[in-house]
Amino acid sequence: MALFSRTSALILALVAFATGGPIDAQSLQRLTVTQLTLSADTATPKIEIPFHLIVTAHVRERISELDNLDLPILAELELLGSERTTVASRGGTTYRETITVVAHHSGAITIAPVTLDATDARNGRNFRYSSNALTLHVQGPGTAIVAASDAWQGLRALLGAVLRLALILVGVAGIILLIAVLIRRRPLPAPVVTLAPPVPVVRDPGAQLREALGELERDRTRAGAMRARHIVRRMVGATDAETLADVLRRPLASDLQLRDLLRALERAGFTHNADLTAAIAAAIAQLERMTR
Amino acid sequence: MNERAGPAIVTRALERTIVGQQGVIEGLLLGLLCSGHVLLEGPPGLAKTLACRSLADALHGEFKRIQFTPDLLPSDIVGTRIFDQRESAFTTVRGPIFANVVLADEINRAPAKVQSALLEAMQERQVTIGPQTHPLPDPFIVMATMNPLDSEGTYALPVAQMDRFLLKIDVGYPSRAEELAILERFAIADAPVIAPVATLDAVREWRALAHNVHLDEALKRYIVELVVITREAQHPAIDFGASPRATLAIANLARAKALLEQRDYAVPDDVRTVAPLALRHRIGFNFRVASDGGATRVLDELIARVPVP
Repeated sequence: MALFSRTSALILALVAFATGGPIDAQSLQRLTVTQLTLSADTATPKIEIPFHLIVTAHVRERISELDNLDLPILAELELLGSERTTVASRGGTTYRETITVVAHHSGAITIAPVTLDATDARNGRNFRYSSNALTLHVQGPGTAIVAASDAWQGLRALLGAVLRLALILVGVAGIILLIAVLIRRRPLPAPVVTLAPPVPVVRDPGAQLREALGELERDRTRAGAMRARHIVRRMVGATDAETLADVLRRPLASDLQLRDLLRALERAGFTHNADLTAAIAAAIAQLERMTR
Repeated sequence: MNERAGPAIVTRALERTIVGQQGVIEGLLLGLLCSGHVLLEGPPGLAKTLACRSLADALHGEFKRIQFTPDLLPSDIVGTRIFDQRESAFTTVRGPIFANVVLADEINRAPAKVQSALLEAMQERQVTIGPQTHPLPDPFIVMATMNPLDSEGTYALPVAQMDRFLLKIDVGYPSRAEELAILERFAIADAPVIAPVATLDAVREWRALAHNVHLDEALKRYIVELVVITREAQHPAIDFGASPRATLAIANLARAKALLEQRDYAVPDDVRTVAPLALRHRIGFNFRVASDGGATRVLDELIARVPVP
């Protein structure tokens, strides 16, 4: 509707310039009028529902007020109020007056043009500039669109409504599609699978000690000692966060021979190089005693 | 004197005088073996002074006690020069800091200027009085106490100053059995005077031995991880982590601990035992955590996160 008003206003403004004529007034503002239009925010106002008439004028000069602007007599409309704004800029001054009115009867209303008396700044001649006239079709409750122009307006309104409905439906469908895509992309929660408790693998401590012994005999270095130490620590259930003192507090490490072995492996793992060979030999000897 | 028995002989001598407080006794010896200074925090009446005096007695060393007060001056600690009218010359009067074992009682009662004078002497192991510089005796160990209960009129030690202490020991109350033993032992007689069990030369020898204790590469990495986790854990209770001085402190303390256990190599147990002593006072804990005693819990939690080699 706003688009309609703007387009029609522009066209009608051109008409206004064409119909303007010289007047005889003596003390008029010297203006270069580039626009004078009359528009409404709706072409089909409804009975008892306020709407707006908008007068827009543009002049090239920077002025604070338009002195000789005459508004038409609005005999078929009730005037509820008006608001004026004058905006001066580098390109000139734009005057805008918004008149709030309400219709009490249905049918076509023709509003006479707005006129502006001014001296044309370009040639010094006095002119009465005139805007377009405006025809509105006031619709009452249950009023049938019978006139030919009313029928066209009604058809336009119907098409607009259908188009709006179609757009809303397309929008809703798009949102639903987007949500569906997002849900599909989100990783689905892992299915809860109840597994049977793992069958504990109870390794023979003797086998683990033999494994540690084999490791240490194959590699009589500090690295070999650390691997053997790891095997024995794992055998007694030690975690990575436990030191030897923690391991010795474990019930599985209560055996005196095992405690001596753990200490021997600790020595082999951390002693100085001069003592390393003796420490590894001591650990092997302890392992042999326990695997015999 | 059986000096060949090693530092354990001093431990046994101290245990004859002090009931319980194993942590305090071990901490004092660790400080002695590392040439480091010890900060003791705990309520009054927990034998902190007795432990320090007994250590000096056991080593045949000189013991001095300085009670820190708000009106103490630096010259009251390091000494001063006075004019001798008879000789018509200035003579130096050495302060109480010239001793083998110095107890700085309630260090947080003195203003920052006095604290700085003491801490500078601790770091430099020498003091300058007038134009002359005087080396402090060797061994020289300062044991400073702080009273956490009475914060009225105290000057809290800044973290930078706390960093100069090798370790901090939180002194706790004795158990019921220990308290009963204290009652039976000291109710009538005063605390017995300890006969010297070692010499200062022996202490210097033990220090050299501690210095040579083997610290394996895996343990060095373990120590680094323990310190780094205090900085990188992003723990909500920690404002800032420990400095590299903590790394050196843990390494030295672990070596000393191994020597106390009569080993010439350190093991993970040594590192983990001494780590809280070296870290607790070097970490910037939030006020709330620090005040409700949660610092120890947070530190234990962080240490437990680092895998033992």
